Amino acid sequence: VLVLVRSPLPRLRALLQRCWGRMERGLWPGLFGGQSPPWGPAVAVQGLALVPQGINDSGESSTEAPSLLESVVWMAAPKQRRTIEVNRCRRRHPSKLIEIKRNIDVCPECGNLKQKHVLCGYCYTKVKEETRLIRMEIYKKEGGPFNSPTVETVVLYEGEKPTEKDDSKRIIERARKRPSWFVQN
Amino acid sequence: SGAAWARGLLSWARPERWLASGSLFPLSCIHSSTALQKIGKWEKKNRIVYPPQLLGEPRRPAEIYHCRREIKYSKDKMWYLAKLIKGMSIDQALAQLEFSDKKGAKVIKEVLLEAQEMAVRKHNVEFKSNLHIAESQTGRGRYVKRLRCHGKGMFGMMRISRCHYFVKLVEGPPPPPEPPRTGFDQAKEYVQQLRNRTLVHTL
Repeated sequence: VLVLVRSPLPRLRALLQRCWGRMERGLWPGLFGGQSPPWGPAVAVQGLALVPQGINDSGESSTEAPSLLESVVWMAAPKQRRTIEVNRCRRRHPSKLIEIKRNIDVCPECGNLKQKHVLCGYCYTKVKEETRLIRMEIYKKEGGPFNSPTVETVVLYEGEKPTEKDDSKRIIERARKRPSWFVQN
Repeated sequence: SGAAWARGLLSWARPERWLASGSLFPLSCIHSSTALQKIGKWEKKNRIVYPPQLLGEPRRPAEIYHCRREIKYSKDKMWYLAKLIKGMSIDQALAQLEFSDKKGAKVIKEVLLEAQEMAVRKHNVEFKSNLHIAESQTGRGRYVKRLRCHGKGMFGMMRISRCHYFVKLVEGPPPPPEPPRTGFDQAKEYVQQLRNRTLVHTL
């Protein structure tokens, strides 16, 4: 049976030598499941002839130096300096310039600018500020965390009385006039 | 008293038009050793005074020069924003900058609003929306070299870059954009160049 072994790197070569040596000496009987190896000692394979050769380390060390240079990975590096003209062509290419946005509109409520798919920034901060003040009132009423009641909450501004529907709800009072955008139900 | 005498002497010896117009207090143009080191060229452009126009001449549009120095941003990155707003009307430019995600957009917006206010207050511009951006440029500010520590005790030198931003507002609607150069235009120019060839150094 011809067993062809490709010429491996020296370390792999050394490993193969050791395994082969062990197999030949019968120190690795478990390899073929107890049976005798199929190849006999008379089989001199061309490929195998390389393997038992030069087991001494001196042979390895002499061949190791050039192989280190072979196994070095060559990195890419620029060959020439890119001129400013080439650099400008790349930096000022239309794909790199900022595109003008065509989705800017005027908010009908406050008159500031807004993007079409986004809430108006001014109106949002206005509502956020009022919500913060309402939450401060709630905190004052509750007195601490985990005290929120199980009923709904209603916010009443100056001069407003709770209606019949608001009987079962918690009432939060704010000391200012009702803002125009906060519609009362 | 010596300094006052020197200042008086210098103000007499420099008959500039700025003093004649009376818009600036005379002593403010002499700097001894104040923190303001040097007034840049762009700031000085606001000070030129033209002679009064004759009756038949078309009205010269107002020009307002404004700049901000030593902005903590890269000049290359700022240039993209400057290129964006070149040639736009001031309202359109402010809209674009408001919704831009860049750090320099906020700075440029402040500069434009300052310039607009200056135009209305000092430069006799009637409508603040009737301005367009004629020029917008960036310049390199003072760079500072600092140490940047890497692992394993290695270090590199990094540059903290700053930039200047210059803008010139001109009164009036923005000029219409130039039509892009077609192949036909280029061919016409080429033919014209060939026709302009003459014989040189001959009779």
